[in-house]
Amino acid sequence: MKKVEAIIRPSKLKAVQKGLKEVEIPCITVIPVSGSGLQKSYTKMYRGTEQSLALQNRTMIICVISDENLEKCIDVILEFGSDGEVGDGKIFIYDVKDAIRLSTKVRGDQAIL
Amino acid sequence: MGNIDSLIIENQSEITNAIDTVWVALCAALIFFMEGGFALLESGFVRSKNAMSIIAKVFIDIIFGGIIFYVVGFGIAYGSSNGWFAFDIGISQDDLGLGLTVSNQLFWFIQLGFAIAAISIVSGALAERMKLWSYTLLVIVFCGIMYPMVANWVWNPSGWLSTAGFNDFAGSAAVHAMGGFAALAAAMVLGPRLGKYQKNGKPNSIPGHNIPLAAIGCFILWFGWFGFNPGSTLGAVGNWDLIGKVVTNTFLASAAGGISTMIYTQFKYGLIDITMVINGVLAGLVSITAGCNVVDANSAIVIGLIAGVLVDVAVQLIDRMKIDDPVGAIAVHGVNGFFGAVAVGLFASENGLFNTGDFSFLIVQLKGVLVIAFFSFTFTYVVMQIMKKTIGVRISVEEERVGIDASSFGVESYSNFE
Repeated sequence: MKKVEAIIRPSKLKAVQKGLKEVEIPCITVIPVSGSGLQKSYTKMYRGTEQSLALQNRTMIICVISDENLEKCIDVILEFGSDGEVGDGKIFIYDVKDAIRLSTKVRGDQAIL
Repeated sequence: MGNIDSLIIENQSEITNAIDTVWVALCAALIFFMEGGFALLESGFVRSKNAMSIIAKVFIDIIFGGIIFYVVGFGIAYGSSNGWFAFDIGISQDDLGLGLTVSNQLFWFIQLGFAIAAISIVSGALAERMKLWSYTLLVIVFCGIMYPMVANWVWNPSGWLSTAGFNDFAGSAAVHAMGGFAALAAAMVLGPRLGKYQKNGKPNSIPGHNIPLAAIGCFILWFGWFGFNPGSTLGAVGNWDLIGKVVTNTFLASAAGGISTMIYTQFKYGLIDITMVINGVLAGLVSITAGCNVVDANSAIVIGLIAGVLVDVAVQLIDRMKIDDPVGAIAVHGVNGFFGAVAVGLFASENGLFNTGDFSFLIVQLKGVLVIAFFSFTFTYVVMQIMKKTIGVRISVEEERVGIDASSFGVESYSNFE
């Protein structure tokens, strides 16, 4: 079982969500995040004054999937989540110890189907 | 039905009083509603951790400022004046010498709107770092003594500026420059917010947390201004022509202020800055407030266009001078209130410099607004310094880090769960 955390541009969310649904990964959690990456030239102005240490808005998609779905999931995010430019975002992948579905109390791979 | 004419003639003064009362009561309520505009405008321009503290300040403006303006303020402003001051208490039942066709109580209520508007200008400039009880003391001094003294000079029939022919119809100088320069002095004593300036002195921007909220505040102030300026006629009977002129001028100047700010920010930064457009519209309103009864429509547009640029330049300049004004109150009300009073001397149809070539009226305007700005700045500076030395004016560094909402109210404006 794997957890995928993908930080993408907010404008890519709909396309990635649709793509994941098409490969039968419908269960996702989405968080609005802000941060800084490699975009050195980024400056934000507010009322004529530069904002120091400004952060970019991004969207984080979290999905927990079975091992065999991992490559499918990554392919979708790479295909629909990227412009091929600095600032597109990153994907992080973790091993997950267990999962429990609250409604049925089922554990393991059954819980994330 | 035939004798309705004679009925009107018999009760003429009663009918005049009734019509004027409806008009003034309506405008007074519109002016009072401007407090809601100040609250939202200032709240939107500060960080979310202080969003409620500014609402608290506007409450303090109304409740403490309003009561003190009832107890002593109104008497100082409109009692029997020696030109500079009056020693009356409460609301006098005597004729105030203003030719009022409404009761003194209603006149007090519309004046209350002006007094609390003036102090609400100050509250924005002190956002995010002032002790609330010290601020309350400032409100009491401001609405009890300072503002009433200036109102006495400008609007009391015996006031020294009033007798000198100073024209400040609804208070560019007496309300806005007065509040703006008090804000300047108070912000200087209080010092900038933590993190506003880098070690090398370069300013950082600290973005407001909710610009749509600030914009709604601007719209409410804009709406209220159509009571602020036309209501200063203090009566509808015999003023129908003047009211139309005042309303038109008020709108034209505010729209022109928005236009010039929009164009200025587009060229200066390559983007339209809506936070500045908000200030630009308000700057237009402030600058036409003094002269909306004596300038023509074209002049109103020119005044607004100048005000819209003036506010952008002033915001930048004040930032560079290391005076931290989170909402732009000094630039909007101080600078443009000053400009508005001077603009009357330039643009007035009958006695302005541009129409007559005569400097005498301009000099009266300039002298009046200079004295008001100087008085307001000095008085506030002294009051703030005394408070700083005794009870303190600034919240602790720790309180400032967590925000006034959490440290003073124990509740956040936007709770995270549910």
